[in-house]
Amino acid sequence: MRRFILIGAAAALVLVAAPLAAQPVVQLPEGEGRDVVATACSQCHALTAITQLRQGEQAWRYQVYDMVLRGAQIAPSEIDGTVKYLAASFGPGVPFPGPPAAPVTLPDGAGKELVEGGCALCHGLDRVVAAKRSKGEWNGIVKRMVFFGAPLAPDQATTIAAYLDSKFGAD
Amino acid sequence: MKELIRQYIDQGISRRKLMTGLSAVGLSTVAAKSIAQSLAPVAGVVPTSPPAGAMREMKGTGGALFVQQLKAAGVEYIFFNPSTGDAPIYDALVDEPAIHLVKGVQEGAVVAMADGYARASGKTAVVVVPNIGLPNAMTQMVNTFKDRIPLLVVVAAFGQDQLGRDGPQDYEHQEVMVQPITKWYWQANSAAGIPETTRRALKFAATAPAGPVFLAIPDNLLRMEATATIMDQALFDVPMRLRPDAKDVEAVARLLIEAKNPMMSIGDEVTLAHGEAEALELAELLGLPVAGQAEFGTWSKPFPTRSPLYLGTVLATMRFPGQIDVHLNLGNQYGEKAAPGKKLISIRRDPTSLARVTPVDMGIVADPKLAAADLVAAVKSIATKERLKQIADDRGGRVRTYTKGMWDLRGKIAQDLSDGAPIRMERLGVELEKGLEKDTLYVADVDSGKTLEPFMGFGGADKTYIGTGPNVLGWGMAGGFGAKLAHPDKPVVAVVGDGSFLFSGPAPLWSIARYKAPITVMVLNNQSYNNERNRIWTFGGGAQFKTGRDMTCYNGSPDVDFTKTAAAYGVEGETVKEPGQIQAALARAKAANVDGRPYFLEFHIQRDGVGAASEWHPPLSIASLRTRKV
Ligand code: HEC
Ligand code: HEC
Ligand SMILES: Cc1ncc(C[n+]2csc(CCOP(=O)(O)OP(=O)(O)O)c2C)c(N)n1
Ligand SMILES: [Mg+2]
Repeated sequence: MRRFILIGAAAALVLVAAPLAAQPVVQLPEGEGRDVVATACSQCHALTAITQLRQGEQAWRYQVYDMVLRGAQIAPSEIDGTVKYLAASFGPGVPFPGPPAAPVTLPDGAGKELVEGGCALCHGLDRVVAAKRSKGEWNGIVKRMVFFGAPLAPDQATTIAAYLDSKFGAD
Repeated sequence: MKELIRQYIDQGISRRKLMTGLSAVGLSTVAAKSIAQSLAPVAGVVPTSPPAGAMREMKGTGGALFVQQLKAAGVEYIFFNPSTGDAPIYDALVDEPAIHLVKGVQEGAVVAMADGYARASGKTAVVVVPNIGLPNAMTQMVNTFKDRIPLLVVVAAFGQDQLGRDGPQDYEHQEVMVQPITKWYWQANSAAGIPETTRRALKFAATAPAGPVFLAIPDNLLRMEATATIMDQALFDVPMRLRPDAKDVEAVARLLIEAKNPMMSIGDEVTLAHGEAEALELAELLGLPVAGQAEFGTWSKPFPTRSPLYLGTVLATMRFPGQIDVHLNLGNQYGEKAAPGKKLISIRRDPTSLARVTPVDMGIVADPKLAAADLVAAVKSIATKERLKQIADDRGGRVRTYTKGMWDLRGKIAQDLSDGAPIRMERLGVELEKGLEKDTLYVADVDSGKTLEPFMGFGGADKTYIGTGPNVLGWGMAGGFGAKLAHPDKPVVAVVGDGSFLFSGPAPLWSIARYKAPITVMVLNNQSYNNERNRIWTFGGGAQFKTGRDMTCYNGSPDVDFTKTAAAYGVEGETVKEPGQIQAALARAKAANVDGRPYFLEFHIQRDGVGAASEWHPPLSIASLRTRKV
């Protein structure tokens, strides 16, 4: 059996100006659920939309729901398997594609280690510190990252939000 | 002097006599001339022979000739914004009760109102706008053009003797500017020719595949008196009710009967041809699964989305019903999907877009309504009732199982995603389905809105969906106004995104208030070009995604209060922030509409998809650029 199946983006969304027809061929790792993703997720956009993301099971479930509402044909009985496959293949901790993230040295402060441990599982820390953000926004982002699958207890999330606000806050 | 003027108006004395008289009472020649000119008969219409059936000769200003030809075409409304040059058109309407003026305060809104009216009524809409405002109109003409909606757009052009002198508002040959988005454009070159040119323009606009047509009439011609013949426009109709060839119909009918795993896709041309009932009958007769509109590019939902035969979006490969052996595409511009081993038959009204990209095994140019009716008759004549029942039960049974499963899944999705504030799109979909009347015209101009629509029923006895294929935003509120004008006895909601609202600005609210259009405007405010960001981040995967810096799509800061905007136009409304408040708000909106008043609902909606939490936007403050506090 071949280890990967290769899928090119057959149909490109006409609405987007970028020449999507030239999308790269994408490799999907093996696993139960791969065939569903390969056949049900490739009609409207390149599979890079999937392979570039890292998120946990609940977030992938919502993602699949969203796609069903947009027209993806997945039978109800296939949902759980697909979500499991996506979370295992493209979940937190799975190396993300592209060149390694630029190293980031965080300023000292309460929460620094939590950020280093909890915020670099799905993308680099460079993404975390790329912009100054307001307090409300940091709260929202950390909450969202927890929804995505950042392994953080509520008090840890609060500490991180406070840390980021004090070091990378916008007025 | 008063007496002189009275005599002139009553046509007791000639213009020359009036001039002499005015000079006699001490006026300069220039002043006298100007008075005489201002007193020219207002409507300018002096029939030179009695109306004789379908044709009559008349004398009048170019403006009056134009108006009378529109009247002879059954035009009831002119959607307009005025300029100095087109005044003779409005002069001619002073005493013409058959045609009503509908004013819009921005040309984009004028065209979108007309477009909504044309989509909902099937009639050709007429627009008159200032020549300098034409580029505003053109944005919305893109929707009209791409969706093949009949529209006549007229401007009063610079006078012929002024053209080419580089006058302040003269940009030469404005008519060619509209070339890519019209079926035909023309500049009138004589006053007497205006009715004929108008007939031609209306004919081109309405003949399927329909579309916008542009006519520039130099303002001197609109003022000039001429004699011309007004003719009943029906004499120039080109009926495009093309019946498909009987042999082709029989061949397709046999293929559909014999097929192992057939599918039908259905599109906007069925809506335009009013062939919904025939298409449904064909599908039910043969138990055909039906794929509907594409994710992008289509504007109506002609097949009942609650029918157990309805699959949803047409895709390049369909996991259900699987390997298709016969695919009938009925009037769907984006429905032609070729695949090995599949026979693709496409029945289209528009020969230019049939087989334009995709190889088609059997292309048929025909009216989709007549084609579906003929196919029904042919199928019935080929197969016995018993056999057809067997086929419909076999195929239909499989489709039913699939579509029921998908409705159940959507029910589960709605449950999983129903709570929390701001309101989720999915929840709003469920609530609208509960709160809106079945006969509602649902006019939509919102990008992420696509995820609330699968919770709702459209088509058949259910709500009517009206959107735009190309999604040129800023259309929705005005489009909803136009739909209500076409169907005053139906409930109308206009659903727009915050982005969409800001493209049109509040301008359509002016017309909604002025003409007491009892519709409900709904702004789905997620403070974002939400789907735009999703697509940019998702499909590009570029630096914005990688750094999490959304350079373009966040719309908050300022956090626009849309409900207040409506209040500025005297349109009452409210902001709905919690899902639990939706039903009560919908009830208040309905009560206002029933009472004859428009209503405005701003929903605070959750952003969704990649980068949804981000509120960051590139910082730039002009105040801090200053070196002086001025
Ligand atoms: C019917 C067309 C269609 C199919 C089939 C489809 N998608 Fe999508 N997908 C879209 C669109 C449109 C977007 C753009 C983002 C949006 O609007 O949310 C998107 C975006 C995405 C994104 C980016 C995140 C986001 O929400 O923007 C992911 C991840 C994704 N799709 C995964 C999938 C998966 C997994 C499947 C298969 C289960 C799938 N897609 C099948 C249309 C589709
Ligand atoms: C489980 C995977 C995951 C973890 C762990 C994670 N993120 Fe993210 N993060 C994502 C994804 C996916 C995106 C891009 C999509 C999105 O933002 O919706 C993202 C984007 C971002 C962005 C860009 C802004 C934005 O909304 O996209 C910032 C900032 C960010 N993350 C910060 C953090 C911080 C801080 C942490 C630690 C608390 C963290 N991330 C942990 C998955 C994760
Ligand atoms: C006139 C016009 N300009 C620009 C665009 C590009 N565009 C496509 S979607 C979109 C954002 C729409 O935002 P909104 O209406 O708020 O919808 P949301 O995705 O947030 O639901 C934009 C700007 C367009 N379609 N039409
Ligand atoms: Mg929006």
